[in-house]
Amino acid sequence: MIKRALLSLTALSLLAVPAQARTWAEIKQSGTVRIATEGAFPPFNLLKGKQLTGFEVDLANQLAKQLGLKVQWVTQPFDNLLIGLNQDRYDFVIASHGINPERAKAVDFSNPHYCTGGAIVAKPGGPLTAAALKGKRVAVQVGTTYLENVRKVPGVGDVKTFPKDTDAQAALMAGRVDAWVGDKFTGIDLVKAQQGKVKQGDLLFNERIAMAVKKGNSSLLKELNAALAKAQQNGSYAKLSQQYFGQDVRCK
Amino acid sequence: MTAPGPAPRQTPLGGLALLGWLGAAAAAFVLLFFLITAVLRQMPDPIGPRADLFVEGARMTLQLTLVSGVIGLLIGIVAGIMKTSGMWLVRAPASFLIWLIRGTPLLVQILFVYNALPPILESVGLNVELNEFWSAVVALSLNVGAYNAEVIRAGILAIPRGQGEAARSLGLSGGQTMQTVVLPQALRIVVPPLVNNLVALLKDSSLASSIALLELTLAGSRVSSETFQPIPVLTTVACVYLALTTVMTLFTDQLERRVKIATR
Repeated sequence: MIKRALLSLTALSLLAVPAQARTWAEIKQSGTVRIATEGAFPPFNLLKGKQLTGFEVDLANQLAKQLGLKVQWVTQPFDNLLIGLNQDRYDFVIASHGINPERAKAVDFSNPHYCTGGAIVAKPGGPLTAAALKGKRVAVQVGTTYLENVRKVPGVGDVKTFPKDTDAQAALMAGRVDAWVGDKFTGIDLVKAQQGKVKQGDLLFNERIAMAVKKGNSSLLKELNAALAKAQQNGSYAKLSQQYFGQDVRCK
Repeated sequence: MTAPGPAPRQTPLGGLALLGWLGAAAAAFVLLFFLITAVLRQMPDPIGPRADLFVEGARMTLQLTLVSGVIGLLIGIVAGIMKTSGMWLVRAPASFLIWLIRGTPLLVQILFVYNALPPILESVGLNVELNEFWSAVVALSLNVGAYNAEVIRAGILAIPRGQGEAARSLGLSGGQTMQTVVLPQALRIVVPPLVNNLVALLKDSSLASSIALLELTLAGSRVSSETFQPIPVLTTVACVYLALTTVMTLFTDQLERRVKIATR
């Protein structure tokens, strides 16, 4: 009887107590950090076959190396990333999340690891400025800051949300939409890859991109910020940034 | 003891009664949407302020289901009858369609119609651009059509051979036999499984979210990724689907009762 009561009590308490995020001490002890990203956002995080690559992936690997940790990567759809973080499926997320108030309410952000903006990309003759977006069909990825920022453009036509950025770009190439709004560096990549079939237009807005940890996981956040600052000081960040973008993309 | 239900009808349902049934169903759905809007607007934060988005999504889901359902029914009837034909040449295309559609996942079919079909059609000189809605309709109606075809074939096969033979010996042609003897009887048999397919279709339409069609599921995923609160959002989405299917089955149950004719 007592045993059964104890068992059910344990089960209940397991349900009642929310799972705790792993603190820095726990991660350090286990020796492996679990990092999540999307893997469909070139050149920041991208799956090439089974190989996860990109600026953010390399940067996170570097930070983990500095912290003396092995890395276990997890890839998830973008709109699932922060939800999964709050369910402790991984320790932190590095997936080009622009800092905005809604997200800051849900998770804690590190210092920004790069600065960028949302830029318009369209076919030649298409809308390239915010004013030209009036009445036009625009493709964006679901759950991104681009969606809310495009919505703010006065008079903008239909805003379509796709599960992945690459789907939104495909819609632009197929002529299903008049413009795509996404990260400016991703846009530069697309323009290069499509060789003149699309053009990049104005920046709609600027944003600061940061890593996210579960709300309240300050010990991990502190270590991440310290590692990032060190990488930016000792030149390894600059080297990586030069390799991917030909410029230093850190926030000035 | 079983309660004595309404006595089975002696004559099939007339056109006017069917029209009345359709009208009542439409009215019920309009009422349901008012109700959903009113209830969702009362909800706390992640749902209440975005109630209209959910309602818009639900409307799209219903629209998708009705349009694909009707087209799918026509496809099913044609393909189902073709499959019972004695001629190999008539049977083959229907068998091919069913083999192809039933053997591949609906998600792949939707993505195929949306992403792969336009360039294929373009290469053969047809320049049609299917928007999200019609892409989803094409994929969904073909899909449900293939399943309906098998249901209709089964209904036709369930009519005893003797019925057809008797009709033919009375001088009716093959077509007349089908129209006046076999199909009216088969109809009663196939209504329940067809309704089943329609309810499945309503739920399957959620896969259209993958091609950026703003239906109920995508509306939910937009809100969930904006607020990071999957529990209230997914619960709401599930409840709205449940409300839609409940009202739908309420009326199809009625239809089932009404097409029932007293047998011997």
